[in-house]
Amino acid sequence: MKIKSAGLVAAISALMAVSAWAADPIKVGVSGPFTGGSAPMGVSMRDGVKLAVSEINAKGGVMGRQIVIVERDDEAKNERGVQIAQELINKEKVVATLGFANTGVSLASQRFYQEAKIPVMNNVATGSLVTKQFVAPEFADNYIFRNAAHDTIQSAMIVDEAIVRRKFTKVAILADSTNYGQLGREDLEKALDKKGIKAVAVEKFNVKDVDMTAQLLKAKQAGAEALLTYAIGPELAQIANGMEKLSWKVPMIGSWTLSMGNFIDNAGKNGNGATMPQTFIQEGNTPKRKAFIDAYVKAYNPANGRIPSPVSAAQGYDSVYLLAAAIKQAGTTDGPKVREALESLKEKVDGVVAVYDKPFSKDDHEAIKMGMPVMGQVLEGRVVTVK
Amino acid sequence: MDIFLQLTFSGIALGMIYAVIAFGYQLTFATSGTLNFGQGEALMLGALVGLSLAGGVMGGPYINYWLMIPLVMLFGALQGVVVERIGVRPSIKTKNEFGWIMSTIALAIIFKNVAENIWGKDDLTFPSPVSSTPFQIFGANVQIMQVIVVLGALAMMLAVELFNRKSIYGKAVVATANDSDAAGLMGINTGQVVTFSYALSSATAAFAGVLVAPLTLTGATMGTALGLKAFAVAIIGGLTSGVGAIVGGLILGIAETLTGYYISTGYKEVPGLLLLLLVLAIKPSGLFGKTTIKKV
Repeated sequence: MKIKSAGLVAAISALMAVSAWAADPIKVGVSGPFTGGSAPMGVSMRDGVKLAVSEINAKGGVMGRQIVIVERDDEAKNERGVQIAQELINKEKVVATLGFANTGVSLASQRFYQEAKIPVMNNVATGSLVTKQFVAPEFADNYIFRNAAHDTIQSAMIVDEAIVRRKFTKVAILADSTNYGQLGREDLEKALDKKGIKAVAVEKFNVKDVDMTAQLLKAKQAGAEALLTYAIGPELAQIANGMEKLSWKVPMIGSWTLSMGNFIDNAGKNGNGATMPQTFIQEGNTPKRKAFIDAYVKAYNPANGRIPSPVSAAQGYDSVYLLAAAIKQAGTTDGPKVREALESLKEKVDGVVAVYDKPFSKDDHEAIKMGMPVMGQVLEGRVVTVK
Repeated sequence: MDIFLQLTFSGIALGMIYAVIAFGYQLTFATSGTLNFGQGEALMLGALVGLSLAGGVMGGPYINYWLMIPLVMLFGALQGVVVERIGVRPSIKTKNEFGWIMSTIALAIIFKNVAENIWGKDDLTFPSPVSSTPFQIFGANVQIMQVIVVLGALAMMLAVELFNRKSIYGKAVVATANDSDAAGLMGINTGQVVTFSYALSSATAAFAGVLVAPLTLTGATMGTALGLKAFAVAIIGGLTSGVGAIVGGLILGIAETLTGYYISTGYKEVPGLLLLLLVLAIKPSGLFGKTTIKKV
C-alpha cells in the first residue's frame, strides 16, 4: 500500500511538472471590489475580464500560453488593496494587474506595481490623478495605464450637459466624502469655472448616510436647477429618494456611477432621468457589442438580463485585449517590455468600447479620449443612450 | 421658517429611531446592569428578516408588511434570549463586571457576518408599505412612513411602560430593576426576568428595524452606526429613564439635521457628541437619569 501510494505521488508530481512545462500560463492579477456598495462595478469588471480571457484561451492563448487570472476582492478598502498588491506581486508573481474600481484603492496600491515594474491597467477607477502618480521627471517610466473615462473628461461632459445643452445657470454639487467624491468635486468645480459659473451650493455626505435632508435643502434654497453628483450607487439613491421626501425634483446629472444597478434599483422611479457619461451602454448597437452582451448574459445570467455595471464589464473586457496585444507584441511577459509595447501598440485593438488605434504613448496613458463616451440616461430601470 | 420646520421634522423622525434603540439599552440595564452592545445588529437582523418575509429577496413576499411585524418581533425576542444565554448570563453568574461587554460585541460581529453571508453585503430596498409621496404640514413635507416611525416608536415605549406598571410580570421586572437581591428573596426568579428583558430589548430593536428600513436602505452594515448613535442617546438621556431616551433621541436627531443645514454637512455629528461629552462631565447619570450611589 505504501509503495503504491508513493508511486501515485510520484506519478502525480511528474504529471504536474509536465503540465506546468507545457502550459506555463501567463498569470494576470484582477483586483476589484466584489462585495459592498461598489460591487456592481467590481463584479461586472471581473466577469468582463473572464469573458475575454476565455475567448483568448479558446483561440490558443497568447504566444501559445494560456492566460490565468488571479482574482482578489479589495472590498473598496485602500488597505485591502495594498495587501492584495503585495500578495499578487510577491507571492503570485503576476505579469500585470487589471482592475481597481475605486480611485482611493488604486492610488494606494499602484506604488507597489510601479516599484516592481509591473504594468497596471485601471479599467474602472476614474480619478484624474490615477495615471499621473508616477510621471516624468521624477519617474523615468510610468507603469500605470487606464482604459476608463477619467474624471477630467467626465466632469467636462457633465458640465457641458448641464450648462451648454440644458442651459442651466444654477447648479449644486453633491459629492461623497471619499477620494472619489472629493477629487470629482474639484474636477467639476474646475469645469464649471471654465464656463464662468460657480456652483450655488457644494455639499458633501458620508458613505452610509441615511438622511440627505440638510444637503438637499441647501441646494433647494440656493435655487439649484440641477444636481451634479459624484458618489456611488446607494448614496446616490438616497439623494434621489431624499428629493421625493421634500417633494422637490430637479435633474440629476453626474458621474457614470449613476448607471450602477444599486442606484437604479434603490432609487426606483425616482432615478428616472438621471444622466451620466457612459463608455458603454447595454444596447448592442454594433454586432461586436451585441455579441459581447449576449455572451455576458449567457455566461453570468444577471438578474433581469441587466449587466450590473455595463461600463465596467465592457472596460474589463477591453483591458484584457489591450494587455494581450501588448504581450504579443513584446514577445515576452517582462514588465518593462510590456510597458513599452503598450506605449507603442502597432496592432489596432478591436474592443467593445472602441477600436483602439495607438491608445497609449509614452506621455499619454489614457485609452479613453474626449469624444469617445456618450451620455446615457436612466429610463424605467435601464440605461439608454440620450438621443 | 419652512426650512426650519422641515429640518425639525426630519430630525424628529431620525431622533425617534435613535430613541427606540436607546430604549432597548435601558431595558436590559435596568434589570441586570448590563447592556447589549449588539443592539444595532438586532435592529439589522429584524430589518433583514422582515425584508425576507415581506419583500422579494427570498422568493417572497410571503405576508404583508403589517402581519410581518409581530413575527419579526418574535424573532427579535428569540435573538435576545440567545444573546442573554450565551453572552450575558455567564458573566452575571461569575460576577464578572466586564465579560458581557466583550461577549455582546463578539456576538454582534458574529450576527453581522452571518447576515452578510445570508443576505450579502449589498444594500437592499425595503418596499414601503404606504405611499412615499409626501404631504404638507405648515409648508414642510412629511412622508407617511416618517409619521408611522414616530407613532410606532412612541406606542412601543408606551406599551412597555404600561406592561411594567399594570401587569404582575411587569411588576417583577420593576422589582428586579429596583433591587435585584431583594426581589430574589421575595421569590421572583430574577434570572428569568433578565432573560425576559433581553428578549424585550431585542424585540424593540427588531421592531425599530422594520420601521426604519423603508426610509433607508437595508443591509448587514445598517445597524452599526445606528447602534452607536443610540448609545450616545442613552447616555445623554440617562440609562434609567424612558423619557430620557425620547428627549435624548430628539436632541441628537434635530441637532444633526440643523447643524447639517446651518453650519456644515461635514460637521453634522459634532454638536450631538459635544453634548454627550458635556453631559458626561456635568451630569454623568444623564439628563433624566437617577444618580446611583455605588456602595463598595
